[in-house]
Amino acid sequence: MEQMDASDAAAVLARARQGDGEAFRALVEQHSRSVFRLAHRMTGNEQDAEDVVQESFLRAYRQLGRFESRANFGTWLYRITANCAVDLMRSKQARHDQSRAEPLDEATDQTTSTGPDPERMAGSAEIQQRVAQALEALSPLERAAFTLRHYEGRSIDEISRALGLGTSAAKHSVFRAVKKLRVALEPVRGLQA
Amino acid sequence: MTHYNEDELILYYYGEARRRADIEHHLDTCGECGKAYRQLAGTLSLIAAPEVPDRDDRYGLEVWQRIRHQLPLQDAPFWATWFRWDRLAIAGAAAAFCVVVLAAFVAGRLFQRPATDRPAVVAASVDTSTEANSRVRLAAIGDHLERSERVLLDVVNAHDGKQIDVSDAQAWASDLVDANRLYREAAVRGGDTMVADVLDQLERNLQEIVHGPSSLTPAQLDQLRVRIDAAALLFKVRVLHDELRERETAPAPPRKTT
Repeated sequence: MEQMDASDAAAVLARARQGDGEAFRALVEQHSRSVFRLAHRMTGNEQDAEDVVQESFLRAYRQLGRFESRANFGTWLYRITANCAVDLMRSKQARHDQSRAEPLDEATDQTTSTGPDPERMAGSAEIQQRVAQALEALSPLERAAFTLRHYEGRSIDEISRALGLGTSAAKHSVFRAVKKLRVALEPVRGLQA
Repeated sequence: MTHYNEDELILYYYGEARRRADIEHHLDTCGECGKAYRQLAGTLSLIAAPEVPDRDDRYGLEVWQRIRHQLPLQDAPFWATWFRWDRLAIAGAAAAFCVVVLAAFVAGRLFQRPATDRPAVVAASVDTSTEANSRVRLAAIGDHLERSERVLLDVVNAHDGKQIDVSDAQAWASDLVDANRLYREAAVRGGDTMVADVLDQLERNLQEIVHGPSSLTPAQLDQLRVRIDAAALLFKVRVLHDELRERETAPAPPRKTT
């Protein structure tokens, strides 16, 4: 991927803001891989991540006029991607909610209480499967906040800015996520030792 | 001995706890907290970052090919939104109000009473200034509530269809969120819990609109309506709006004079 220096980047951005498609193409080519990586970490699967990548760039293009040129485009795009991922998880959850009777917390509890015994689960593949299920059971906001904190190493302040939440709300989203994950992963914790 | 709760241990795990050295020392000496922390860290260490499928250098071009024919119209720059006629009218009204307040203030300074009455005049001037500030704040919150009510009504009354576009309401709500936070914080500082509570609920719903999808399915719209209805938010906003208008127009209480 070709890197642009600061003055090139500013010029490309200025042209893109005036609706220059070729300039926006340069931005897409420069940032696609990092956007995909974040989208994949947040959604947990390739197809959803591709949808998020596409929607993030379309949304970014639409909102380029609101982008303040002194800000960092990568940071701004990161925020848009995080929110697109939350939107996608919300719409998926809404679809699931229509076909699922029990609320998320109960679903998590059920996974915990009726799942296979720890003895029957061996190896990291099973653990990772459990982790994936546990992450699926989080609310979109909890999952987003947890992903940004745990996988991306973002601070609570950065998470609150990325997701447009207050610091306290961001912190509590992480707390709730960790607590739910602890409950869901309790049966497999012994396997690690 | 003060023990640490789970939230504090989570922050400590992620390196965001205050007084990190104190916690570290405590975990070394307190068996109960040490065990709780080891359990927490053990669980979190199970959650490894998923492997992200590789994307090569041509990936950017592939993404571009997918989106190039779908590029939407760009939104107007953020400053352009301030030049809409309705906002100009609001800004004009606010400016006129400020001029009147300033003129009243200057007139009050020019036509002071004789020196013998000075302490009472100073006290009255402070009262007037506080009162004027309060009225300006009430007027501003009243306007804010009115605008917020319109956004909520836009969403609640959105026409059903296969996909409902709420991007206009979303953009408007986005403009209102920051102002809402400032008014809420001012109300909290001023001890006005009734105003603070309603603004708090309003802020959460505005955030919900801002961060929701810009195109809703009928089911998503229904969920949003249900949430707004469940909080009786429109009703509370209207009641508070009326209440603030009454407070704003109520005659000032008689001042104490010496």
